[in-house]
Amino acid sequence: MNVPPFAPTSALQEEPPSGRGSFPASAIVGGLLSRRQIRSITDRVTRFIIKTGGIGIILCILGMCIFLVKEVIPLFQQAQVTSTEPISLSAPESSSSAALIGIDEQQELAYVLRGGSLGFVFLAGAIPATPEIPLRQLVADGSMTAVARALGKGHNLAMGTVDGRVILMAIEFTHEFKGTDRSISPSVTVGAPIMAAPTPQPISKMAYQSTESDVRIAALLQDQHLWLTTSRTTSRPDGTAAASITQIDLTPTIPGRITAFTLASRAEILAVGTAEGNLYHMDLQEPASPVLVETTRASEQGKAITALAYLMGDRSLVVGNASGQISVWTPVREHPGTNMTHMALIHRFADHRSAVTNITISQRDKGFITSDEGGEIRLHHSTSDQTLLTLTPQHGPLRNTYFSPKADGLVSLTEGNRLIHYHIANPYPEITWATLFSPVWYEGYDQPKLVWQSSSGSDDFEPKFSLTPLIFGTIKGTVYAVLLAVPLAVLAAIYTAMFMHPNLRAKIKPTIEIMAALPTVVLGFLAGLWFAPILERNFPAITAMVLVLPLAIAVSAGFFLILPASLRHRIRPGVEALLLIPIIVAVVWGCLEANAWWESFLFDGHYKPWLESHLGLNYDQRNAIVVGVAMGFAIIPIIYSISEEALSNVPKNLIAGSLALGATRWQTLAHLVLISASPGIFSALMIGLGRAVGETMIVLMATGNTPIMDWSLFNGFRTLSANIAVEIPEAPHGGTLYRTLFLAGLLLFMATFALNTAAELIRQRLRSKYSQF
Amino acid sequence: MKPWVRYFFGSGELFIWGCGAGLSLSLLMIGGLLVLILLNGFGYFWPADLVELTLKDGKHVIGQLAGEEVSPKGIPRIRMKIGNRDLYGLDYRWINTDQIIERTKPPDLVMVERREWGNFYGRLGTLHKEDQIVAEGSDAVWQSLPPLLRHQESSETESGYTLRIVDANGKEKSVSLSQVMRVLRPNDLSTLEKLWVYVGNVWTVLTTEPREANTEGGIFPAIFGTVMMVIIMTVVVTPVGVISALYLREYARQGVIVRTVRIAVNNLAGVPSIVFGVFGLGFFVYGVGGTIDALWFSERLPTPTFGTGGILWASLTLALLTVPVVIIATEEGLAAVPREYREGSIGLGATKWETIWKVVLPTALPGILTGLILAMARAAGEVAPLMLTGVVKLAPAMPIDGTWPFLHLDRKFMHLGFHIYDVGFQSPNVEAAKPMVYVTTLVLILVVVTLNLTGIVMRNRMRKKYAGSAV
Repeated sequence: MNVPPFAPTSALQEEPPSGRGSFPASAIVGGLLSRRQIRSITDRVTRFIIKTGGIGIILCILGMCIFLVKEVIPLFQQAQVTSTEPISLSAPESSSSAALIGIDEQQELAYVLRGGSLGFVFLAGAIPATPEIPLRQLVADGSMTAVARALGKGHNLAMGTVDGRVILMAIEFTHEFKGTDRSISPSVTVGAPIMAAPTPQPISKMAYQSTESDVRIAALLQDQHLWLTTSRTTSRPDGTAAASITQIDLTPTIPGRITAFTLASRAEILAVGTAEGNLYHMDLQEPASPVLVETTRASEQGKAITALAYLMGDRSLVVGNASGQISVWTPVREHPGTNMTHMALIHRFADHRSAVTNITISQRDKGFITSDEGGEIRLHHSTSDQTLLTLTPQHGPLRNTYFSPKADGLVSLTEGNRLIHYHIANPYPEITWATLFSPVWYEGYDQPKLVWQSSSGSDDFEPKFSLTPLIFGTIKGTVYAVLLAVPLAVLAAIYTAMFMHPNLRAKIKPTIEIMAALPTVVLGFLAGLWFAPILERNFPAITAMVLVLPLAIAVSAGFFLILPASLRHRIRPGVEALLLIPIIVAVVWGCLEANAWWESFLFDGHYKPWLESHLGLNYDQRNAIVVGVAMGFAIIPIIYSISEEALSNVPKNLIAGSLALGATRWQTLAHLVLISASPGIFSALMIGLGRAVGETMIVLMATGNTPIMDWSLFNGFRTLSANIAVEIPEAPHGGTLYRTLFLAGLLLFMATFALNTAAELIRQRLRSKYSQF
Repeated sequence: MKPWVRYFFGSGELFIWGCGAGLSLSLLMIGGLLVLILLNGFGYFWPADLVELTLKDGKHVIGQLAGEEVSPKGIPRIRMKIGNRDLYGLDYRWINTDQIIERTKPPDLVMVERREWGNFYGRLGTLHKEDQIVAEGSDAVWQSLPPLLRHQESSETESGYTLRIVDANGKEKSVSLSQVMRVLRPNDLSTLEKLWVYVGNVWTVLTTEPREANTEGGIFPAIFGTVMMVIIMTVVVTPVGVISALYLREYARQGVIVRTVRIAVNNLAGVPSIVFGVFGLGFFVYGVGGTIDALWFSERLPTPTFGTGGILWASLTLALLTVPVVIIATEEGLAAVPREYREGSIGLGATKWETIWKVVLPTALPGILTGLILAMARAAGEVAPLMLTGVVKLAPAMPIDGTWPFLHLDRKFMHLGFHIYDVGFQSPNVEAAKPMVYVTTLVLILVVVTLNLTGIVMRNRMRKKYAGSAV
């Protein structure tokens, strides 16, 4: 097989210079180069081209793996942060710490609400030559005592004053384009003041949310009373709108000193935390009669809850306490089957060194920022359970923080009145090795689960990227395919190599090779649209076949063996397989005919209810059996060819020796040939496995593609390969889904590469072993 | 123990029969599959007789017989293709045999092939031009139709004729004649005439564009797309594969590295095609294509030109997928060239390149061609990588047309394999689409099997020819 490479002995160089006569004049090109030189140059040039080309091409081909890795790596990169030079602001006269800051989507213009005034600051890299925006004094400095922000579109702020008024304002940023010039300008709308409580009192803490119809304000007054104010706008039949204001004191329903509270973004739930570490959930759907839904002990050792915030989607609540602990709680069903829920702790994060003062959530994903007393801020991602970043104060403690709308930056105000702008590069916060491969506790689930669900119809949907169900599906499909294919293919190979009539063999081998070339899309189509309905209709018959077929073969073998010798010898040896064909056809036909009878005999009349009641299994039309058969069909030829090659390469003199010593055909096979060829058969099995692992079209067409984890024969699954085919056309380039699918591709690549390499090494060893004979 | 019993189990004859059974089952599976596809595929073109059934409730049904079976409840029933999708909403109908009083095949039943809504089975009623009746009665209309349809084919203008057709129960349906493609009376045709219609049907499917969301009409664009893609792939993969193989076999120093590379290339042939698709999408479409767009087609952005799937990227992806096949086959071909040929050539004073070009490559040509043919066969049947790199269910334009630069490598294309997947699994009316899928499958299998057979036969001949040499 291996021809030793040709030694590059060049006849040209050894040619004697004083040859027989000179070159004909016609061979001189341009009078400069002799023909010999041209030949020599051509030789060298082609050598160079082929060498560089060959190496280049091979490197390119092998570079595929590197490219896949390159696309996957960003998923696992740490969050990167770059801070800009702090901007010093003038200090307000009052000592009140109430302040709010924010930033526009492009991260060019920040606003600062403190000391009763609203100011704007252009950040580094903003459009040049933007005019300064004057400070707008809304209330007298010192009379602003509390602030709150509503989540949702735009920037909706509320300011609480010393005399119990709440002033609402909305900031919008407009970008204008004039040719290539761009300008950004804020517009501020200030609403009429609303009284937070019947009696004027300083507001010490506030929460605010607005929806299309409602404005809701929860205000904690100096006397420790928590008042809820709902301003509801209802449209009258004549088209005009009327506002009604409802106010209620919530303090009587909540025992303990209130230390933190927050409104969910749809303003239907109020969460209140107390100094004793209790968490109270109030349902606010009826403004006049709030209901206390649940009390949870949400803080260890009774530490005071100091900060609360709902994550995007309003399901999970982030709780921070006085000792710096951060936890995420979500409603979980008490028992499967009920709608009763209770708050359960689903994620814990590394503790802050001091009390948590503020929690700011991302409007993009399940990320949030916590800040503590010591002025440190941290960025977390709830679902993936990781703390992505820790920002330690370098220019004084970081006090007020705002997460930019696209979650790619944040601004923070330090104690020394400096505004710091951080750019955050953190495109894949939801992916860690743990979220990809181990169970994750998602919101709305009763326990940590392995889920693949990359998209959904609803807006606040969180994609779930667990590769485990897909890997499971891949293994399941492969196992069922191999269970069918290996016995058939190896038996067929043994028969072809050892017992078959040579003339027949010369015809059969190419037939099965052609079978290898059948496009898998054809097999998938037949499996899904032809075989699946047939199987569904005749499932009992198929189970009968599995039992009857081996029996029938044994009986017919026995029958042939007890034939009188004179008759038996008329049949040429090595055609048993052909004799069996009519028998198999007859058995299959008979079983199909007896389907109804068999169904009533074995399955009490109908097999589907029987499966359901006796085994608790559901029958899907496109199930693992269908895939097993179709994919088995696809890998039979390859296993067959390689096993056959291994078997027929067993040196003939060994076989002849064994037979000559009196061993039967079968003994020779079992004790000599199979043992010597077993590594080859094993490598065939591995190559077959490699094929099945990566097969796409059959699985895509013959299963329901549901990513469930269940070994049942009667339902479908989703494999890594089919998943790629289904999802990557819709995945935005460079996004989390896109890169996760690349990771799936890389896994497939590595798995098949490993399987094939192992198989190839085994085959090479086998080959060198046989070459000794 | 009786001697035959001992012989039966002890000698292992039983197990030999078991092995035989494995082979028989495998052969039956492949045989059954091919027969299934051939029957369904070739059966599609046959103009089957139209049957008129009279049912017990007095209703009539006209259609083509499409199968018989015993229902799950044990009642024998037949399946009829009843057509007239616009009237009934269904293409097929099950009828219990005990409901049927009479089966007839009246010669005046017609099958009207329409551009929309599928076939109509029934009787011809009247032919109108604007508001006037031109012909009335089944036979009169039948006589007057052929010249009109022929004229309609050659002229672009709307003829203004309207055909009224009547279904089995007398329900009338008006069809503009421009919507009518063909009118046939299958029951009135002799076998020879039917054969002629059959050939015509085959020709139509192979050469016309699809209609009705790909479930009717032809599959020409899919055939063309497949062939085109395979040609581009071959153009790319030939030099790449041959140069690599030449390097590995003739120029590289044989050692651990080359052996490792050889194993790696070998293994690449076993990497799932979908992985190549992923690579093609990331590298060719978004990487190379995106760069080309940014450099030369920036005026069209954000609409991508090359930065989206297209026939070029699909072909390159498949070239990468098949290059191991070509390398392996070429290497085998090169290794099979007898050593004496090279020694003779060098001995006569030829340089290494001259030896390769004039002696080695021509001798190895059958091996290289075999590799190429097998590569083409594999490429023609692959679907998964194409789904990521540029195949579409319905391409608005062919990759080759009359506008500059004639060959549009950035265009999306249709493919036989994807056509099977799309029509069989994505179309709204799977039952009506099934025959089309079988036809497409048949064409694809014919292409792939022909290519493969050629490759295998060539390889076997070559092996025999050089059996005495260094193979």
